[in-house]
Amino acid sequence: MASPLSNGAERPSGSLVVVRTVDEVTSETFVRITADGSVNAYNGHVDLGTGIRTALGQIVAEELDVSFARVVVVLGDTAIVPNQGATIASETIQITAVPLRKAAAQARHFLIARAAHRLELPAAELTIEDGLVRGHNRSVSYGELIGGETIRLELADDAQVKAVGNYTIVGQSMPRVDLPAKATGELTFVHDIRVPGMLHGRVVRPPYAGVDAGPFVGTSLIAVDESSVNDIPGIIAVVRIGDFVGVVAEREENAIRAAEQLKVSWKPTPTLPDLADVETALRANPSTPRTLIDKGDVDTAIAGATTHMQRTYVWPYQMHASIGPSCAVADCSDGNIRVWSGTQNPHVLRGDLALLIERPESEIDVIRLEAAGCYGRNCADDVAADALLLSRAVGRPVRVQLTREQEHAWEPKGTAQLIDVNGGLNADGGIAAYDLATRYPSNAAPTLALLLTGRISCEGAVLQMGDRTAIPPYDYDHMRVIAHDMAPIVRASWFRGVSALPNTFAHESYIDELATEAGVDPIEYRLRYLKDQRAVDLVNAVAERAGWTPRPIREEKDGDVVHGRGFAYALYVHSKFPGYGAAWSAWVADVAVNKTTGDVSVTRVVAGQDSGLMINPDGVRHQIHGNVIQSTSRALMEEVSFERGAVAAREWGAYPIIPFPDVPKIDVLLLPRPDQPPLGVGESASVPSAAAIANAIFDATGVRFREPPFTPERILRGLHGDAAATPQALPAPAAPPPSRIWQNPFAKRAGIFATIAAVCTAAVGVGAALWPGRAIAPIARPGTSVYSAATIARGELLAALGNCAECHTTIGGAINAGGRALETPFGTIFATNITPDVETGIGAWSYPAFERAMRDGLHRDGRQLYPAFPYTHFSKTSEADLQALYAYLMAQPAVRATAPANTLAFPFNLRPLLAGWNALFHQTREFKPDPAKSEQWNRGAYLVESLGHCSACHSPRNVLGAEQRDAYLAGGFAEGWEAPALTSLSHAPIPWSEDDLFAYLRTGQSRYHGVAAGPMAPIVRDLTALPDHDIRAMAIYLNSFNDAAADAPTQDALAAKLEAATQVTVAASSGARLYQGACAVCHEVGGLPLFGSRPSLALNSNLHSASPDNLVQVILHGIAEPVSSDLGYMPAFKNSMSAAQVEQLVTFLRGQFAPDKPAWTSVRETIARVRSSTH
Amino acid sequence: MTQTPIRLTVNGRIHDVTAAPETPLLYVLRNDLQLNGPKYGCGLGECGTCTVLIDGTAARSCVIPVGGCAGRDVVTLEGLGTRDKPDVVQQAFIDEQAAQCGYCLNGMIMTTKALLAINPQPTEQEALEALRYNLCRCGTHVEILRAVMRASGRLAEAGN
Repeated sequence: MASPLSNGAERPSGSLVVVRTVDEVTSETFVRITADGSVNAYNGHVDLGTGIRTALGQIVAEELDVSFARVVVVLGDTAIVPNQGATIASETIQITAVPLRKAAAQARHFLIARAAHRLELPAAELTIEDGLVRGHNRSVSYGELIGGETIRLELADDAQVKAVGNYTIVGQSMPRVDLPAKATGELTFVHDIRVPGMLHGRVVRPPYAGVDAGPFVGTSLIAVDESSVNDIPGIIAVVRIGDFVGVVAEREENAIRAAEQLKVSWKPTPTLPDLADVETALRANPSTPRTLIDKGDVDTAIAGATTHMQRTYVWPYQMHASIGPSCAVADCSDGNIRVWSGTQNPHVLRGDLALLIERPESEIDVIRLEAAGCYGRNCADDVAADALLLSRAVGRPVRVQLTREQEHAWEPKGTAQLIDVNGGLNADGGIAAYDLATRYPSNAAPTLALLLTGRISCEGAVLQMGDRTAIPPYDYDHMRVIAHDMAPIVRASWFRGVSALPNTFAHESYIDELATEAGVDPIEYRLRYLKDQRAVDLVNAVAERAGWTPRPIREEKDGDVVHGRGFAYALYVHSKFPGYGAAWSAWVADVAVNKTTGDVSVTRVVAGQDSGLMINPDGVRHQIHGNVIQSTSRALMEEVSFERGAVAAREWGAYPIIPFPDVPKIDVLLLPRPDQPPLGVGESASVPSAAAIANAIFDATGVRFREPPFTPERILRGLHGDAAATPQALPAPAAPPPSRIWQNPFAKRAGIFATIAAVCTAAVGVGAALWPGRAIAPIARPGTSVYSAATIARGELLAALGNCAECHTTIGGAINAGGRALETPFGTIFATNITPDVETGIGAWSYPAFERAMRDGLHRDGRQLYPAFPYTHFSKTSEADLQALYAYLMAQPAVRATAPANTLAFPFNLRPLLAGWNALFHQTREFKPDPAKSEQWNRGAYLVESLGHCSACHSPRNVLGAEQRDAYLAGGFAEGWEAPALTSLSHAPIPWSEDDLFAYLRTGQSRYHGVAAGPMAPIVRDLTALPDHDIRAMAIYLNSFNDAAADAPTQDALAAKLEAATQVTVAASSGARLYQGACAVCHEVGGLPLFGSRPSLALNSNLHSASPDNLVQVILHGIAEPVSSDLGYMPAFKNSMSAAQVEQLVTFLRGQFAPDKPAWTSVRETIARVRSSTH
Repeated sequence: MTQTPIRLTVNGRIHDVTAAPETPLLYVLRNDLQLNGPKYGCGLGECGTCTVLIDGTAARSCVIPVGGCAGRDVVTLEGLGTRDKPDVVQQAFIDEQAAQCGYCLNGMIMTTKALLAINPQPTEQEALEALRYNLCRCGTHVEILRAVMRASGRLAEAGN
């Protein structure tokens, strides 16, 4: 289709419009043809990604006799398109296109009549080709016929449309007009709108996630601490109205940070209904029965049945799950309020916005732009209202993007549904009666800001929408259907196949159960009760296409994987009861069920559809594909999880949707019905899905499943009862041989005599405290010229080895200026300022004072320093190295900064006691090489033991905080992270080798162990200053405590074996699904390479450790600062997963990737600890 | 607050970006460079809508700080081709009508581009696995798979 002409050439300015007069001042335009020959068509519905823009263009081009390319379809701008209600119920082609089609036809009749007059020829002798009317070698174009006139035609309902037989554009497959722009990034989605002066907003939602009714809604906010975001640049405003909270910033990333960081306090949410058991919750929800049909004498018929069958079908809460979280831009900066939105109902939204800000609708223009597919009501309207509130607050245009977590939590859910069917069989196998009751707790989900700001009542409205397709398509003699209308339990609104999909799940499962009971093939049985000829034709055509053979098939089904085939049919009846039908649809689904793992694959679907006249057959086919895939996903894996009644699933691991490899083969059968009116095709093919799949699973297994999703756990429970064995990936291998415990070859031996000495020294120390300690006199800060550049450079390298800056620098603070809080078991110690500032740093320190601090742990003024400062290691440093380090530190810029006072508990706050500690655990002695060892080993020992101080973290400490001498490098804890054992005590499944240690220390990554994270990442980053031979020496030394090293081929073979054995093939638990949705993209072995490394979890030391700390740390906090960007980054999941979900994930990961290790017992406590800590 | 500009190459042009280094690349591409191809989908690297190529490898730009891209070569959907001159993968997606709402399309095309760079003629199974972690909610998988096979010249092998 065309774009409007925009060059300024002179041309006649006339136009022809076809309008419908609404009232004295308002009219709605459907078609506008201008003198330049261009055609605009206006429709009140919007293109939700289904391709209606293309189909509407075809309809207009056809009726107007212009080329498809000439027509511009205008959708969704409330200022210019007719108000035709929300784009729901697959109505666009079937309903809202009707006046458009007539308007185009009317315009053509008008123009051809005028042409006949102009050309002085009878209309019957004229032909039209792309808006050019010809007759007898003369022609006149539509534009010429319009000329400078302004022609206004009132839409005539009796306008004569073309006969189908004359169609040349409608009925032909037409490529979608929007795709070339979408495939090249040239289409402007609502997410892509940029308005001059636009700011970025984010909202903070209340804790009652996804609940929108109850007295606490809009009344739960206690306080917002605006100062909590003071440190973020470019914050324009923090806005609160009732429970609505938003932030506005110049830059998007700062708005994101502010929304995360803003301290908001909320009242506790009252206890919400428990949704772990949907059936009980729905039965308990108050309802009003509404009889939809009561035919024959149901009660008597049931009483007389020979086989009674009472069944309950339960549908879960599901998500629309738009791929793009909703976004909108609002601009209140001048009198005209404009809102750019991805809404499915621009006019309804405009009314909501007017209500929200108490302005007349006429002042607001809602401009609908394309957005991510919504399949019903998502958060598109909510975010538009959010943007409007924020724009109004700041008087500038504001763009608001909801987060993934907010879209998941707050989108109005496709509701759970409960359907009870009573009935049974007569002696002849016929159906005695059908008595169905359906419960649908859902409404239109009011736009959230209206509720949060208190503009409308927070009492959940009852909407009568549970009745869609609630009456079965079968001609049962005795039939009663009751819809129990009820308010929502959690926020819920229409979702593709609104109530019809669950109702049909019941109808089509039940008739299958009846057929089984009657011993009749289920298709044959249905046909006995199906009186609609188009339905019968469709069912027969689909059965034939699929090669259906009468069921049940008696065959051996003893293997692990059993196959089955199921059928279901539906005429999707939608809109206000009794409603009307969209396209007819029927499915034959083939499934493979693994009886051991519980995994269900839908391998093939034959989907047949009678859509009446198809405007764009390829478009219909694509809609069927989309419906089959999406509804297969819904049936197999989709279910919203709740915690304490609020929505818990906030990312794709907790709410998985079908991935590519699980998509069934789809065979679409389109019944040609060009002589029948076109029907909506946006939803019909979803409706039979779950029943067809359930029927196929029954066919395969002989077990009836009445509650989707058909997850592995549910299948296993159905097949084997509650005793279902959880599939075990690997048998537990034999326990590893006990490992050696190493002693530190350089540590002080603390025997009985030393202890006595220490006690004495401590006493002396306490006494000494009464006198001032020996201070070393301050000096003037040494000039920078005292030391050579080479010495300073060497000192810099040594500072890197010692990782000084890590402890002596706060996050984002000046380097080495101190102030960083170091949490110890004895209290908090704040690192000191080691810049050469004379008053607050070490500027007045002479070299002897510096050396004494490094070797003896004494401040220049004589105070004892706490051994969080690892002078026990630094004392081993050579004189030359200490000189160089001093030179380097003194040559750095002086920063004036005083660290906060330590907060240590008694008696640890008594520094003099450290004299005793030193007597026990410290010796001031330079490193002495071991002559029995190689030069490289000794070099490595020096680096590791002195400035490197590896064992300060990697060795366990005793109750007094000293490294345990006889557990050298046996693993310790630092800053909330485990520093794993570096010796043969390592829990890594593949023992460390010299090369691995080298690779890890050099690059931050070892193929066999993982990447450096947490406090280790900055250490490896610092080590990049060291030459390869020093790193190699450290590796040689460290490896000497590891007597189980294997050679490279052995490691490779073991790695391959471990990885193959732990591959995740079936997601049979919430934890496994979290892994597949959140982790596998970057961690699954063999995946498509992504930027950064792909650490193998099967080999990762942290998963094999005795404690889950590092795994929990990395899941919650991610890796934001890896050793180098080459390693890639890991996002933090702390705001996206609940503690319970992290526990499920961690538990799964341990069981899956370290199957020979015992389950961790302290996961929940660890998560709580790590979540609350600052690290 | 002054920040050292971060220099990176995007679609063949050098840009000096003034943003905090921890800012996800996605926001720099979208807001500073006004590129609409990469889309925000989850912020966790799970869904793939934000995919770009960094030094030729597929990358989820929502979880990569722009500071980590300094000196690197970034290609977005816009860098492949235009409506008038689409890249072969873009053309294949257009030919196969491989989008409904089109929100995930950027990720599908960019991931396909990365796949074909290392495996020019993938089997259908390899293509499915390569796209496993790119989510599509409209159910356009059939057309997308055909587009991948068409782009690799192996359409005849595609099912459906």
